[in-house]
Amino acid sequence: MQPAAEVATGVRAGPPPPVGPPPRRSGTDRREWLLAAALLLPNLALLTLFVYRPLIDNFRLSFTDYNISSPTGATPVGTANYVEWLGRDDTRTILGNTVVFTFATVLISMVLGLALALLLDQKLRGRNVVRSLVFAPFVVSGAAIGVAFQFVFDPSFGLIRDLLTRVGASTPDFFQDTGWALFMVTTTYIWKNLGYTFVIYLAALQGRRIDLDEAAEIDGASPWTHFRRVLLPQLRPTTFFLSITVLLNSVQVFDLIYAQTRGGPVGTGTTTLVFQVYQETFVNMRAGYGATVATIMFLILLAITFVQVRVMDRGSTA
Amino acid sequence: MNDLTRRGFLGLAGAAGVAAGLAACAGSGSSPTSSAGGGGPIQFWSNHPGTSKDTETKIIEAFQKANPGFTVSLIDGGKNYEEVAQKFNAALAGGQLPDVIVASDVTWFNFALNKQLAPLDDLLAAAGLKTDDYVDALYNDYTFNGKHYALPFARSTPLFYYNKAIWSAAGLPDRGPATWAEFKEWAPKLAAVVGADKVPLQMADGSNYLDWYFQNMAWSMGGQLSKEWTATASDPKTVAAGTFLQELAKNKWVKFSKSPDAEFSAGIAACALQSTGTLGGITKNAKFDFGTAFLPGDGACPTGGAGVAIPAGLSDERKKNAVKFIEYLTNVESTVTFTQATGYMPVRKSALNNDAEKAFLEKNPRAKVAVQQLAKTRSQDNARVLVPGGGARIGKALDQIVQGQDVATVFAALDKETQAAIDSQIKPKL
Repeated sequence: MQPAAEVATGVRAGPPPPVGPPPRRSGTDRREWLLAAALLLPNLALLTLFVYRPLIDNFRLSFTDYNISSPTGATPVGTANYVEWLGRDDTRTILGNTVVFTFATVLISMVLGLALALLLDQKLRGRNVVRSLVFAPFVVSGAAIGVAFQFVFDPSFGLIRDLLTRVGASTPDFFQDTGWALFMVTTTYIWKNLGYTFVIYLAALQGRRIDLDEAAEIDGASPWTHFRRVLLPQLRPTTFFLSITVLLNSVQVFDLIYAQTRGGPVGTGTTTLVFQVYQETFVNMRAGYGATVATIMFLILLAITFVQVRVMDRGSTA
Repeated sequence: MNDLTRRGFLGLAGAAGVAAGLAACAGSGSSPTSSAGGGGPIQFWSNHPGTSKDTETKIIEAFQKANPGFTVSLIDGGKNYEEVAQKFNAALAGGQLPDVIVASDVTWFNFALNKQLAPLDDLLAAAGLKTDDYVDALYNDYTFNGKHYALPFARSTPLFYYNKAIWSAAGLPDRGPATWAEFKEWAPKLAAVVGADKVPLQMADGSNYLDWYFQNMAWSMGGQLSKEWTATASDPKTVAAGTFLQELAKNKWVKFSKSPDAEFSAGIAACALQSTGTLGGITKNAKFDFGTAFLPGDGACPTGGAGVAIPAGLSDERKKNAVKFIEYLTNVESTVTFTQATGYMPVRKSALNNDAEKAFLEKNPRAKVAVQQLAKTRSQDNARVLVPGGGARIGKALDQIVQGQDVATVFAALDKETQAAIDSQIKPKL
């Protein structure tokens, strides 16, 4: 028989509060804890060893003057490296290069990736071959692509020169002109990265709700309305995921820039923040200053990711 | 039973994870264990200068045959000198040191300054090896505080390469220009012959050692990039050399690229400044007759290239083994083998009296020019070779000049940066 209070409220009362000392954890509980620990601890140990510790170490080094070859270690210099970074002539150029390279690669590779995914989601002949071809550059190393694309952009021998000569146009000097050099590394990276955005969008498209497509068709929606009102909203989480991962990957591009331009021309023509970290640490032997640039880059990325998450959260709750 | 198996698996997976972490932490390379100094494994890190991997392997095989008990592993240290230095820096941090590294003219000093290279004088003396047969200028390039930190190995100088057919069409004598002023007189004639698609002179750009070649231009006009530990790029004579380079570029008499040897070999450039180390490659690839000549400006040719050095952190036994190997690598026979295959300079005086070398030079007059130029060389400016990041810093300034920026302003800024690096990174350790 139910108590009167329960009958009145319709809510089943809980068990009576425990009296006396808490019961000993059962054997099952302990086993669950051990299982969780066994699953988490190895990963946590590796993360601590290879991610968190270097992160903290980098932060510490950013306040020092440190020649990477020196056996005597680092000399504390307080915030001098940060003050220098703020006052240096090349800071603006390098930040500008990073912003242009990153946003161009994020935006263009996502737009093109989506367009290709929409196209190759259709029942076309030979689409599997084309899908493989589009994805292939993503798995090739950036250094190899960087070297290969020198033969595309070389102003003396390159493919582009050959094509432009046929139509009587002159070839820009992709390796000496700062604007064209940045265009070259950006275009090359977009080509390499396109397979990634394409395959993720394609997977999202193939997991979409077909009933909504059918409903839109019955309602007589135009292709553009169908895309804007039916497909895009379903792709929103994928777009958010890609915007973060492509941005993080783009900011960290090093191999391709090293192979194509070594950060030049004019010293900083295609130097991005991550390339500056390398340049200062291993070429100028200023590992302390390199750590400062790395820390600043980390903070900028953290802020951008935070803003992206907030914007996405607002979008999903609106 | 099923539950136990899963737990067992998880336990094993966890242990494997930790073990993998520890293994990764310990590094992936294996350190050669040393024997009593009379033999053992030797790790040689090289970028194979002048695409010399096959030649290096040949010399190593000869060394192993002559010295049973030694096994030398030739390790790819990177595609250029800078990458070998970076890899060595990583090894210094990780403690897994090679026995011998290729150390270039711009990378050895930072390691010597920071006591990461072993001074060779005592090691060579203890092994009863003499150094007086090394070409003095090349051996003394590695001197710091009265001690030597490397033996010359793949040593080079810039060389003037010219296309004889274009030279002849332009009505020029079959030789290189004696001075840069003479080249300026020749340039319009060369431009007229090669046409708009080609270029009179091809040089490396600022990211690819233009700074090395520019020293010749600066020295031949009385300037230099530094005097001892004082930056002097803003000296009026150095500024005049920068202005000269800018004028050549403005008139389209010179073009800059990553690898001028490719343009020259393809017949796109009438002439090029390139390392003697590319002579072998150009000879193989050029489908036309070409000549080599001294750089313009008598006695204004910089040395360059690389030596071989031994890390300071090795045990005495490993150092002894390493000394034995680097002495063999740079002995007369090895020098003859190496220089004939690559075009690099003979680093031994007696190599020039070697019958095989004499016959080779008679048969290859282009290589003979390179060897003869050795007497006209001088050691490079500290601002480029001894100051960390010097080459990249000067290369950047030269790129700016070529693109039309004011020479005096650019060189004043360069001096400021160079001096700051000298004052903060070098002077406290001298």
